[in-house]
Amino acid sequence: MITVESLTKRYGRFMALRGISFQAESGEILGFLGPNGAGKTTTMRILTGYMPPTSGRAAVAGYDVFADSLEVRKRVGYLPETVPLYPDMTVHGYVKYVAELRGVPQAASRADDVLRLVGMHTRRDSLIRNISKGMRQRVGLAQALIHDPPVLILDEPTIGLDPRQTLEVRDLVRSLGKNHTVMFSTHILSEAEQVCDRVVIIHRGEIVAMDKPQALRDQLQKGARLFVRVGKAESAESVRKALQNIAGVARVEALPDGFSVEARRDVDVRGRIAQAVAAAGWELLELRPLAMSLEDIFLELTVREGTNERL
Amino acid sequence: MRHIGIIFRRELAQYFSSPIAYFVAFAVLLLTGFTFNNDLALRNGRAPVDPALPLIYLAQFSVFFVPLLTMRLLAEENREGTLELLMTLPLQDYQIVLGKFLGAWAYYTLLISLTLVHQVLMLWLNPVDVGVAFAAYIGLWLFGGASIAVGMFFSALNENQIVAAFLGMAALLILWQADLVGNVLNNRALAEFVRSLSFQSNYSYSFAIGIVRFDHTVFFVGVMSVLLLATAQIVQSRRWR
Repeated sequence: MITVESLTKRYGRFMALRGISFQAESGEILGFLGPNGAGKTTTMRILTGYMPPTSGRAAVAGYDVFADSLEVRKRVGYLPETVPLYPDMTVHGYVKYVAELRGVPQAASRADDVLRLVGMHTRRDSLIRNISKGMRQRVGLAQALIHDPPVLILDEPTIGLDPRQTLEVRDLVRSLGKNHTVMFSTHILSEAEQVCDRVVIIHRGEIVAMDKPQALRDQLQKGARLFVRVGKAESAESVRKALQNIAGVARVEALPDGFSVEARRDVDVRGRIAQAVAAAGWELLELRPLAMSLEDIFLELTVREGTNERL
Repeated sequence: MRHIGIIFRRELAQYFSSPIAYFVAFAVLLLTGFTFNNDLALRNGRAPVDPALPLIYLAQFSVFFVPLLTMRLLAEENREGTLELLMTLPLQDYQIVLGKFLGAWAYYTLLISLTLVHQVLMLWLNPVDVGVAFAAYIGLWLFGGASIAVGMFFSALNENQIVAAFLGMAALLILWQADLVGNVLNNRALAEFVRSLSFQSNYSYSFAIGIVRFDHTVFFVGVMSVLLLATAQIVQSRRWR
């Protein structure tokens, strides 16, 4: 549904995108993850036909974003980072206006339908200047959904919302993902983890990782880290030493309630840990893999990037 | 065409929900009312009233009030981020510009048509030359369109409405007084050219005395066309930044 091939964008001397390529299949929720200024908004603006790329190719539903810009725009619903609202219009008037510009048949009743979908129907006659930030976000979302587009591009739809509103928007995005292709940017990693089928991590205009959230975690857990909790030991230091002496263990770190054991790559040390603990006459209370959150992965990737630059 | 119509309708409706538009209408009617009454009192039945006189004043006031009507047009869209919405909807950039221009021009038309009340009063008081009034209105209408195009151009240039209004006023003032600018130029050809840009001489010395001249009509239509094209280019240039 979305195809991006070695896309670059240059603003004057600043390279905002340095040749990124990715694809999103139909019915997929693609998370676009990166710190502020990574190039998320730029990519989205290119995909929505707002600005052309400097080089490379991007296509939505088979149409080139530059050559067939109008065809692309017909098929994309876009929620920009700053929600584009007219404060002087009513909620319903605004959504109807966008519906008319998009040539949606029966604009007024369709506007009511999408307002119901985003839970804003009770405020349909309020002036946009008088509604809260979370509501504005939802009205913006209604505008993006008005023509039931096959592709939805949402630029940080949960930014500035309170926790309950954030959950609501996430649920909405998840339910939309069932029959739309959704591309959704965020800099909150847990959000991408919860909502997306696939995650693209972008940093300084380059893709640093791209996979399913689960696979990303696996891939980056070189030499799995294990959490070990031991009972009936005389001292923490003796346990640390015993663990350290096991073949294949790279590093042991004391945690407040146990130990984090990092094994060498491709070595399974779980059996040896159990034996060593039993041999010492202690009790093995807990032995489980320490999952890296996307947060860790993200920090690791971006830090690695930073070190490369210094070299 | 459909898109232009939708944008036009919203733009026109916007004026009726904006306090500035009402203030402008109030000020325009007050000022033309004063000048009209003053003229009536001076002539005091001894000389026929000039139906174009309130309109010449109105044209002069346009220099100041048109930028107040146009400052919002693109500067606000720019600042609120709604231009990004419009530019990612399936419509052409020129349709946005044209729809907005026509909306502002329609409001202006409404505004000047309110001054028809003076014409009715004049007709009732003593016979006036209806032809002159008609030509003066046609001229004022074109004059307003050209002024709106100038104001809108500056609204597209920056995000700040106050700056847009100020630049629009300055530009219109210079255009209104282009005769004086031409008078102080040494180069004959250049001076003639600058003088020919004068909004005042293209209006006051033809339309306002009842003459609809082809070249002056072309002048105002030309100013509109050139500035609308330029405005569309500025809007489009956002895509290339």
